[in-house]
Amino acid sequence: MSRPGRELPSLLLSHTARRRQRLTAALGTGFLLTVTSLSALAVFFIFYFIARDAWPFFRLEGAREFFTSMRWYPSAGSAEFGARAILVGSGLVTLGAIVVAVPLGVTAAVCLSDVLPFSVRQVVKPVIEILAAIPSVAYGFFALVVLAPLLQQSGGPILGLMVWIIGAPLAALAILVVVDLATDKLSDRSRSRVRVLAFGVLSAVAVAALAVAGKAASGLVISSGTNALNVSLILGIMALPTVVSVSEDALQAVGRDLREGSYALGATRAETLLRTVIPAASSGILAAVILGVMRAVGETMVVWMASGNAAQIPHPWYNLLEPVRTLTATIAGDMGEADHVTGSARYHVLFAMALCLLVFSFACNTSSEWIIRRARKKAGG
Amino acid sequence: MCAEASLPAIRLMVEMQNPAVEGCEKRSEPALPSHVETRDFSVFYRTNQAVKRVSLQMSAGRVTAIIGPSGCGKSTLLRAINRMNDLVPGCHTEGELLFGGQDLYSPDVDVVTLRRRVGMVFQKPNPFPKSIFDNVAYGPRLHGGVSRGGLAETVERSLVDAALWYEVKDRLHENALGLSGGQQQRLCIARALAVQPEILLMDEPTSALDPRATSRIEDLIAELKGHYTIIIVTHNMQQAARVSDYTAFMYEGNLVEFGATTQVFSTPRQKQTEDYITGRFG
Amino acid sequence: MRLQTRKILDRAFTGSGVLAIILMTAALLILLTPMFVRGSGAIFFTATVEHRRIMLEKFDRGDRDAVERDIRSARAAREPVYRAIAEFERQLAAGDAAPRRLYATPLKDVKKALSVLFGPEPGRPRPMLMRDQYGQARWDRAQVKLARVLCREEWDYSNPAKAGVLVLKPRAADFAGTPVAEIFPYLQQNADRMLLPRRTVYWQFLTDVSFDSHFFGGIWPEILGTLYLTLGAMMLAIPMGLIAAIYLTEYATESRLLDLLRTCISTLAGVPSIVFGLFGLAFFINTLNVSPSKSVLAGSMTLALMILPTVIRASEEALRAVPRTYKEAALSLGAGRWHAVWTIMLPAALPGILTGIVISMGRAAGETAPIIFTAAVSVGKPLAVWETLTQPTPALSWNIFNLATEHEAVDEVRHVQYGLVLVLVSLVLVLNLVAILLRARIAKRMRV
Ligand SMILES: Nc1ncnc2c1ncn2[C@@H]1O[C@H](COP(=O)(O)OP(=O)(O)OP(=O)(O)O)[C@@H](O)[C@H]1O
Ligand SMILES: [Mg+2]
Repeated sequence: MSRPGRELPSLLLSHTARRRQRLTAALGTGFLLTVTSLSALAVFFIFYFIARDAWPFFRLEGAREFFTSMRWYPSAGSAEFGARAILVGSGLVTLGAIVVAVPLGVTAAVCLSDVLPFSVRQVVKPVIEILAAIPSVAYGFFALVVLAPLLQQSGGPILGLMVWIIGAPLAALAILVVVDLATDKLSDRSRSRVRVLAFGVLSAVAVAALAVAGKAASGLVISSGTNALNVSLILGIMALPTVVSVSEDALQAVGRDLREGSYALGATRAETLLRTVIPAASSGILAAVILGVMRAVGETMVVWMASGNAAQIPHPWYNLLEPVRTLTATIAGDMGEADHVTGSARYHVLFAMALCLLVFSFACNTSSEWIIRRARKKAGG
Repeated sequence: MCAEASLPAIRLMVEMQNPAVEGCEKRSEPALPSHVETRDFSVFYRTNQAVKRVSLQMSAGRVTAIIGPSGCGKSTLLRAINRMNDLVPGCHTEGELLFGGQDLYSPDVDVVTLRRRVGMVFQKPNPFPKSIFDNVAYGPRLHGGVSRGGLAETVERSLVDAALWYEVKDRLHENALGLSGGQQQRLCIARALAVQPEILLMDEPTSALDPRATSRIEDLIAELKGHYTIIIVTHNMQQAARVSDYTAFMYEGNLVEFGATTQVFSTPRQKQTEDYITGRFG
Repeated sequence: MRLQTRKILDRAFTGSGVLAIILMTAALLILLTPMFVRGSGAIFFTATVEHRRIMLEKFDRGDRDAVERDIRSARAAREPVYRAIAEFERQLAAGDAAPRRLYATPLKDVKKALSVLFGPEPGRPRPMLMRDQYGQARWDRAQVKLARVLCREEWDYSNPAKAGVLVLKPRAADFAGTPVAEIFPYLQQNADRMLLPRRTVYWQFLTDVSFDSHFFGGIWPEILGTLYLTLGAMMLAIPMGLIAAIYLTEYATESRLLDLLRTCISTLAGVPSIVFGLFGLAFFINTLNVSPSKSVLAGSMTLALMILPTVIRASEEALRAVPRTYKEAALSLGAGRWHAVWTIMLPAALPGILTGIVISMGRAAGETAPIIFTAAVSVGKPLAVWETLTQPTPALSWNIFNLATEHEAVDEVRHVQYGLVLVLVSLVLVLNLVAILLRARIAKRMRV
């Protein structure tokens, strides 16, 4: 094991070598930091440039009309820029999307994290990933070309069917629980008779109610398939992957101990999840909802293609069957014309809308992160 | 010529005009020139003092074992010797740590050269996810100046020294992660040997291995002794007794006892040491 | 509550979870099925002789003799129709003014419907627009147009309570007793002899340029445009994203600055895509003047900015997943920090980084909003590489929108729309599949 002789490198660096080494290290780290800050600076740039072009609008037209008036006539002789209907439109489709995405998404997340075996989960995960990956314009195309004609032709009957499909199981469960709770205190002998009676009466009531509601729904005439309902459905599906994956993370973070503690007390899986796990994960689920909202508000192509683009507030406001117009669609749709008149209020109002979007998504992002971080700290400490 | 004459450490001494060189000629001299020496050396993680004013001398060409209960600062002390602690934010030192007479923590020490001269083997085998050959060649390539033929030769010699050559010579270009744990650890030793260090730091090198692989590593240490200064951290008393020439016992950051292994294990001077060795606590 | 009830509730709960997942999967299938079924119709369809004529005349494709024979036989089959009309016109010209006035409009309509179906009448001067030069190239469209020849559409407003109802009136009735009346049954019975439908695989749909705003031809400019935009975006985003990730994981020490950087990057991830589009317009084009107006370059920059956070996050995660001991081992051998990252950390993190890159690539390829104001035009020729610096381009995503909503004849180009959707969705799906496979490989390696 003898080694050929070799010069031992000196441990010490000469003064210049040390200076050079320090310099290269500093330069290298500086370069990395610069590039990293560039990507971070982009956010400030975005805020600055959007605000810079939004500012002239508020100076020219003031903010009051923008937020309170419903009259959106940007190209008229005496242009009016009341964006309230558009803000409400954005809000409405987002609300609709959340109504679709949150129950479905949270249930799916619970199922994924606590019910399904590992092998099934491996199959379902890619489904969620693909749902998230499909380009928004493809969703929009589907909404416009497949869903809109379908809604227009047979929207009423479909809605009627939906009432039955969703209503019947819910009603059955509700009746079961109500009857059970009501008859809990009764003596054993009278109980079974009262139960049968209550079941009969309540079921009859429920069926009647469902029939009335279903009839009313199938009688609805949908004058245009490109409406808020269409967009809400599609946006809901698009927000689903976000809601599912973020809530699933939150549910997984709850940990085994809590679950096992609950099972040990004799709770069923449903009770464990509903009473223990979901409350413990509630802040994470809230963050998931916020991120879903963010996705729905920021989505452009679907609403542009399939919302009908009518700058009006539906009557009544929750009537999803009427066309609406959103901020994103307005920006996308009007820029083509406003582009030629750079400097006009018409051009700048779109930046004002973009600023609203930006501020909103910033608020959503920050709050969801704050919620997640707080939850993590609580879990850690 | 005595065996130590081939030791790079000795040439280092010559280079540094250290009068201790003469001591080498008389092999009977019990105290070999100290290769690494700490003087009132402390290491802090922010405010937590993990190593407390430790002074000891580790002899060239000998095996020094560091033992002590978990969390007593063994790894910290070991990692201070090749300045791996520099990576830990908030870690700083006090006192002196001399390597061939040179304070390692003086500002003009080149960490890269230092680590090249002080090799390290980790607790868990950690070969790179590359081929066996590339693993061993990583260091020589890094430091340059070797031809392709020279590289192959260095790799072979390092593998032979690490007692792994005959097991892997036909599969040099297979992924190193396909080796068994014991083989992986010997590969890591070969990888460290390939840069021709003078000191080999080993932090519980066998704690992740089964007894057979452990005994191979121990045999290897015995073979490497004399050519390298080896400092080994271990939780295994028998191992320390078997492989080391000197033993240091640490407790809560303090150096409790340091001396020849035979002495420390047979007639410990401190009560704490005795308790620990006989398994009464720890 | 009774145990029985609690058990039923538990089952119902589990059932609703499973149902939610089934619904989600069903939604995916319902979405993808029309895209794939009708999208493949852009390539596999029953083509008429007109399609073969276009192929021959515009691309010099197909067996010239066979196609010309087909054209001749189709002409011969159509001949009686034109003859009957000419005959009737002659009669009218020779007769009174009253029937002439009566039949003028219906006859003009029939001739127009016929020229839509078959192309211009032989012997007429060649029209300007290509869509007028040829008849229906696709058999499915031809059947729609044939129905238009046979019947005219009329709106019935007789019931004031309801909206107008569309009714079809056979034209044969309009021409009863004239020679023209006979052409309708003839057309109905001999449609396939006049158009010679044949199953065709028009795979050049993917590589042909389009003619006459997508009435004919393929979608190559769109595909190429999307490739340019995506690759351009990746070329900008990958180095920046990697460098940022390396800095954040390997170099940065925990500090206020680092927190700020992270917040910025996550905010960037949350910016709505349309805002990126506006920013691209206001910054890259109007302020930096990277190009005089829309261009692939400006679009790529905007897209790059949009996917940057995804790339950074994925790379960061992949780098963090590499065992620390690798880095320590490299450093202990005397490697510098940069060298350790370059030779050990990056290769070990590569599959994870690639996964992130591939997924963000799919996102860049599919996004529309950021390129509306920065890069996309509806019609354009395929660009050469150097032209991407200054020229705008058509792109799959933008043209799906454009053809489905802004095109002058949305229904006529439905198959092109579906074809574009199919290509875009397949591209994104393939990229995601790659990502899934890569991830599976990482998982396997982790287990070893
Ligand atoms: N990176 C670090 N940051 C902060 N404190 C640390 C760090 N590494 C170790 N310590 C602390 O320093 C002390 C000594 O740790 P060290 O790892 O040296 O112990 P050890 O003797 O090697 O233990 P073991 O036998 O378990 O490996 C411990 O109290 C530990 O908590
Ligand atoms: Mg240790």
